[in-house]
Amino acid sequence: MAAFLIRRLLHSVFVVLAITLVIFVLVRMTGDPVSIMFQAGEPTKEAITELRKNLGLDEPVYVQFGLYVKDMFTGNFGTSFRTGESVINMMNEKMGATLLLAFGGMFVALLIAIPVGIISAVYRGSVADFFGRIFSLLGISFPNFWLGIMLIIIFAVKLGWFPASGYEGLEYLVLPSVALGLILSGILARLVRSSMLEVMNQQYINTARSKGIKEWLVIIKHGLRNALIPTVTFIGLQFGTLLGGTVIIEQVFSWPGIGRMLIDAISQRDFPVIQGSVIILSFLMIFVNLLVDISYGFIDPRIRQGGGKSE
Amino acid sequence: MKKKVGISACSALLVLAAALGGCSSKPADTSTQANPQPKTVAQAPAKNELTLGVNGDPHSWDPIDTFLLDWSTVATSVFEGLVERTTDLKIQPGLAESWEFKDDKTLQFKLRQGVTFHNGEPFNAEAVKFTFDRLLGEEGKKGPQQANYTSIDRVEVVDEFTVNMILKEKDPVFITKLAGYGAVIVPPKYYKEKGDEYFNTHPVGTGPFKMDSYEKDNKVVLVKNENYWKQGQPKLEKVTFRFIPEATTRLAEMQTGAIDIMKKVEISQTESIKGMSDLELMQVGSPTVYSIRFNTSMKPVDNVKVREAIAYAIDADLIIETLLSGYGKRVNSFQSDMSFGYDANLPLRNYDPEKAKQLLAEAGVKEGTELDLFLPGTDATFKEVAQAIEMQLGQVGLKVKLNLVDASTFTSDLIPKGKAGHMYRNGWGGWTLDFDNTAYLMYHKGEFWNPDFHDEKVEELLKAERSTFDQEKRMAAFKELNQRLYELVPDVPLYQTINLWAANKRVKGFQPPADERIDLREVSVE
Repeated sequence: MAAFLIRRLLHSVFVVLAITLVIFVLVRMTGDPVSIMFQAGEPTKEAITELRKNLGLDEPVYVQFGLYVKDMFTGNFGTSFRTGESVINMMNEKMGATLLLAFGGMFVALLIAIPVGIISAVYRGSVADFFGRIFSLLGISFPNFWLGIMLIIIFAVKLGWFPASGYEGLEYLVLPSVALGLILSGILARLVRSSMLEVMNQQYINTARSKGIKEWLVIIKHGLRNALIPTVTFIGLQFGTLLGGTVIIEQVFSWPGIGRMLIDAISQRDFPVIQGSVIILSFLMIFVNLLVDISYGFIDPRIRQGGGKSE
Repeated sequence: MKKKVGISACSALLVLAAALGGCSSKPADTSTQANPQPKTVAQAPAKNELTLGVNGDPHSWDPIDTFLLDWSTVATSVFEGLVERTTDLKIQPGLAESWEFKDDKTLQFKLRQGVTFHNGEPFNAEAVKFTFDRLLGEEGKKGPQQANYTSIDRVEVVDEFTVNMILKEKDPVFITKLAGYGAVIVPPKYYKEKGDEYFNTHPVGTGPFKMDSYEKDNKVVLVKNENYWKQGQPKLEKVTFRFIPEATTRLAEMQTGAIDIMKKVEISQTESIKGMSDLELMQVGSPTVYSIRFNTSMKPVDNVKVREAIAYAIDADLIIETLLSGYGKRVNSFQSDMSFGYDANLPLRNYDPEKAKQLLAEAGVKEGTELDLFLPGTDATFKEVAQAIEMQLGQVGLKVKLNLVDASTFTSDLIPKGKAGHMYRNGWGGWTLDFDNTAYLMYHKGEFWNPDFHDEKVEELLKAERSTFDQEKRMAAFKELNQRLYELVPDVPLYQTINLWAANKRVKGFQPPADERIDLREVSVE
């Protein structure tokens, strides 16, 4: 396990460096932050040159990159061109809100997908299965931007049950979590359904049934537990998608998270903020994937015993 | 955690309920009434408190860092300059009671006495000197505001309430600039004690409201400055600005009564607002003007006849009437009619496709000639305008290819490098409300946003308007400049924008500002 972890960590460092290089170069190909900063003023060429120098943008890209990576290893991801605030501080401030939303979305997705998936599988071909599949299809098809706005119109404006936007307390989490989770639940429900179908046809399920165990116990204990492995993998992989999804949802619901910060930074070409947040998010993704790998061992002891190798 | 579980479980049920109830009668009832009554919004309860829904958070409140209108929307209530601009855009005394030119380059200000900053620090000549030393020194180099005040050589303290500003050169727009963001007065002691980073998020000025709390990307709360120097102002006790980037969400918050004033109403939302009996739709002319700008070094638009033909082929009136639902104004030059230098007598080029065809024939432009038109992909309204232009130019035999590009790349890279095709969307605000700013940056040779246009006569006129403080002489120069630009057609001015706001009718005394600087001093809530 230790060797596995070390290998994974080294691999992660390499991935982060590669991402840093790509984002560093790409962001510099998209325009000049200094001229954007001057849109509301009267920029002379000298003023533009001076400010570019002050922001360190007059150095060749490889020099800028070298300095950036050097700082990065000491935990310094630069400071925002716009506010002079350190990127780490900005991320710290926003990370809580984004993670809360991502977990809220994941929670809603699981809450819907697991029962829908199980019912669809157990009563395969029934009316419930039909509606389950329709639901999955709808979930996959809704653009989350549209869904968010619909939720606001129905539950905030028409019914007045929840606040439409902002972040003042837990009740503000409901609509954005539902918007985020509902989309994911569609895909997840399909996955739970197909995994359950596969598992329920296995010999050990029939064995369990033949022992006279109650049907619901067979479904939950023997069926669901085994069907969860592909689901957990999927959740891990989807976590990135979920964080990506928060970008739009945060915008619609005025949620003060990283997604909105990133959109603002991109529109203002705030290079350090774009670079820093993408790199830190990629750290997070790698970490989640690592957790997923480790969690396999807990769900399926065969993997733990085999050290990840097939015997 | 239990609470979260409960709420999320509840929300899941609600979604299912909504999905099932989607075809039920409740929402449909109101929309299918034969004679629908204007709807009402839920009333916000608190008296003398106001909540505004604005689109953007500037993220830093330091006046010398900023370049955003979003900054001024809020910070106008916190900071003040030596002079201020009223909502009808006139310059009036602010923290300076009066000013006079001692000679061509020395401007003397008499400061208002008895004014204090929100932290109790006195406002005086030292504070003014500190503000400008900071703006023009090393601190100021990190932001774009310094560039607006380079005509100041130094600021000298004469006595506690008198300062002299020594100018390097004549700058006829100088007083207007002092009403700008970078020139608002900051408290020296507070700034030195707390440092730059703290000041960014905990600003202190002399304005009618003090910043009480600020949550990035969420809201900023201002409270009444009890010691404000203007008697009887402000009237409100508390003002909350909520940052809501999506216009649809802002409107939803307006409908639930959670906000009282909404900034940046979209044209598509105007009918909904008119349908609510408690809401009022407000419009105000903006300094922002849009035009189609030519790359005068590219064939065939290097030929003035071709540019003129295109101007005649575009039906700007129709565009304003249909695509902007009338919320736009025709202009004859690339400046708003609020700007000093606008000549109302200059004729408009009205839609004349026959004349356009004739001019194109004279210029030898063949039918089906292809022209590129670049525009930022994020501007949905202008995308429709560009499609209309594509069709209208098609009717005179020109084939327009629309190129939608990323907004920042467009402004910061393509335009300055002359890579934005034969024609591109040009939008400009002219923050000094004087043609000087726009004309200089757009038509003076070698300017950042003017990669190709050059004319000796234009250069002469630009120099002439800058070399005097005599407004009559300047206006005469601008008249000639407008005429010259009209003949050379470096661009086709399309329209001046109109900004739309919505307010709950319980809000009294609110005037939407043309320059997005909200003055809340006389505003109250019933």
